[in-house]
Amino acid sequence: MKAEQENRILIVDDSRTIRRMIAKSLENIHRTSFEEAANGLEAIERLVLGPVSLMVLDLNMPEMHGIEVLKFVRSRPAYKSMPVVVLTTRGDEVSQADALAAGASMYLTKPFSPQELESKVRQLLT
Amino acid sequence: MADETSENFFNEFLDDYFAESEEHLAIVRNRLLSIEQFVGRSSVDSAHLDELFRSFHTLKGISAMVGLTPAEQLAHKMESYLGALREGRIALLPEGFEALIEGTRTLEQVIAAYRHNENFPDIKSSSDLIESLTGTPPERSATVPTKDMADELQPETSKAKKQWRFVFVPGPAHAAAGVNVNSVRSRLQSVGEIIRSTPLIQEGEIAFEFILVSETSEDELRRFEESGLTFSPLVESAPEPAVDKSVDAAESSAVTSLTSSAASASVRVDLMRLDQLMLFVSDLVVSKARLETQLKSMRGSISAKDWRGLQEINAALGKQLRDLRNGVMRVRMVPIGEIFERMRFVVRDLSRETGKTVVLEIKGADTEIDKFLVERLMDPLLHLVRNAISHGLEGEAERLAAGKSAAGHVRLRAQTAGEVVVIEISDDGRGIDIDEIAARNPHVQLFDADGKVDTSQLLKIISTPGFSTRDQVDRASGRGVGMDVVHQSITELEGTVSLETTRGEGTLFRITLPLTLAITDALIASVGGQMFALQQSAVNEVVEIDPKSIKIMENNEIVLYRNHVLPLVRLSNVFGYDRKESGTLYAFVVGSGARATALVVDKVLGLREVVVRSLNDPLLDISGIAGATELGDGRPILILDAMEILSVAARN
Repeated sequence: MKAEQENRILIVDDSRTIRRMIAKSLENIHRTSFEEAANGLEAIERLVLGPVSLMVLDLNMPEMHGIEVLKFVRSRPAYKSMPVVVLTTRGDEVSQADALAAGASMYLTKPFSPQELESKVRQLLT
Repeated sequence: MADETSENFFNEFLDDYFAESEEHLAIVRNRLLSIEQFVGRSSVDSAHLDELFRSFHTLKGISAMVGLTPAEQLAHKMESYLGALREGRIALLPEGFEALIEGTRTLEQVIAAYRHNENFPDIKSSSDLIESLTGTPPERSATVPTKDMADELQPETSKAKKQWRFVFVPGPAHAAAGVNVNSVRSRLQSVGEIIRSTPLIQEGEIAFEFILVSETSEDELRRFEESGLTFSPLVESAPEPAVDKSVDAAESSAVTSLTSSAASASVRVDLMRLDQLMLFVSDLVVSKARLETQLKSMRGSISAKDWRGLQEINAALGKQLRDLRNGVMRVRMVPIGEIFERMRFVVRDLSRETGKTVVLEIKGADTEIDKFLVERLMDPLLHLVRNAISHGLEGEAERLAAGKSAAGHVRLRAQTAGEVVVIEISDDGRGIDIDEIAARNPHVQLFDADGKVDTSQLLKIISTPGFSTRDQVDRASGRGVGMDVVHQSITELEGTVSLETTRGEGTLFRITLPLTLAITDALIASVGGQMFALQQSAVNEVVEIDPKSIKIMENNEIVLYRNHVLPLVRLSNVFGYDRKESGTLYAFVVGSGARATALVVDKVLGLREVVVRSLNDPLLDISGIAGATELGDGRPILILDAMEILSVAARN
């Protein structure tokens, strides 16, 4: 049964507060654990260290821009189909079209609604 | 987007929000000072700009999340301005720099107002100013702004500096040993500058490449190999393929040194939890006191051997409890440097405003104080520093005429001394004009018999609400408002303020604070059959006084003590009890210098660790009482405020 499988969600954002908010928004999704990364390089390292079911990705981060992370991740066969939710601050320079072109599965902006994030992530996990 | 439910949802993150915004504001203040040297130049250090940009970006994002729209908007404008600077579209001009400083201040005020439920300051002027300086952004480009790496990989580096290419292959074994991309990066940063860090594929595996510019010798760099990194000199034409080294043998001793990066070794704890922990310890202290009382009552009814055994356990328990208390206290301690650093910003501002050149010297920034105190010390310190610059320091011409350096000096010093921490704020300015103050306060005795200034009286005068020696309104330090607030805030923290000033040489304010407020060592004494406690830190010494040595001078009892006149204050008189003292008197010497006074009690009962409970009934304000405690038998006793008692006695 698929429900028995654990979801590992990787939350990538340089703000500690935002990472906690995202985790809180998603905590009611059944059998889910969270991994966190505060920059792009760390996000990629997390992927190497263990399987990730879905990634919530901020764009404007130190060490590596989220779009670069996304492009790199999509270039690896292992992560081609992993759902990636781009969650960027409104008014940022990267448009929805750019993010989708780089391989995002979903594009949301901050401030986000926890309900909306949860329902989008649920959709992507099924 | 933040509808009502999400608003409630995010309320629980407010503390996180305030903590994180404080961190970013600290970075911003720091970096702004660093880029000031680039004002008017063609380009600004890009690392600093990046950090500033990112901090404002994060401030914008998290402010938006908690629905603090003014902060979001302002941070957005600042971010855009920094973006324009970073892209080289505009240059950093003095008015732009001022606008950044002003904007930061407004942003800080908005967040503070939100925190304290106050009205928001107007952001419009700051925000409009920044916007007008930013100019119009170019057409939105569809590409992500990435740095032109070719620019950064300089073909020519100085002789000593070389470029190296490091490759790190992450894996579970490394991660388990604490070696990860962050720790590797920070360790490399400690030996040079990383000009590029990117992921790459090496033999089908994900790896990270760091380009490092460093003066460190090849032999020195070789120690990184033990941590699983491979490295090679970067040749301009084409990077040599990295030699594939086995990373399995990496878990050697060098690995542990990689893990010792400070970031991974600390945890963040909610202050509330620490308060709770302190409360538990306090309860334990009370239980311990009760145990002691109970033990004493059993003394006659058990054998000497049993008694000794119980006493030993009791003593061990006492020591362990003290260790526990110290341990919990230490957890709450943070370096005072945090506040001192903020003063740099203030000094810079005031220096511009007043046109005075000010050098700020900081000493003892690593002195640790209770986190609780840090937050409450900010305003008093801010005020004292402002005072020092706008009132204390002279203008350049006046300084030069007086044979001083053109630049004024303000010194901040902190030091721990036993159970107290001493903070000094001093300047080398003109000193307080005592004659003027004396002329304006003819009814106050400002000088003692020897013609020396009674600094505690002086402090009292300048701490009177509304006091000012200046007629003209001074923008920076207000019109004398503030010293009263300083005095009040420090008193609330159970601390004291003292003052030294020399005409033409400067002024020094000394703040003495207890290290912690909740539990303290107190001397227990009885007066008229009642027990009282007095904080040990307030008592200089306990003395015995022969009644025959007491002399009467102007209705006051005094004794000669260590070649000084020591006035006696009998607590029995202060409280209106019958005098019970007979034979040798016992007294606590409190206060310092000319204010030293002996507080006479009937009996000194001992030294105890007590838990201070404040008596904060707004309808009840009894001067002279600092709080209450219990000694273990369940009966409350009052803790006296020595300084206040002296004032009460003086009034009677």
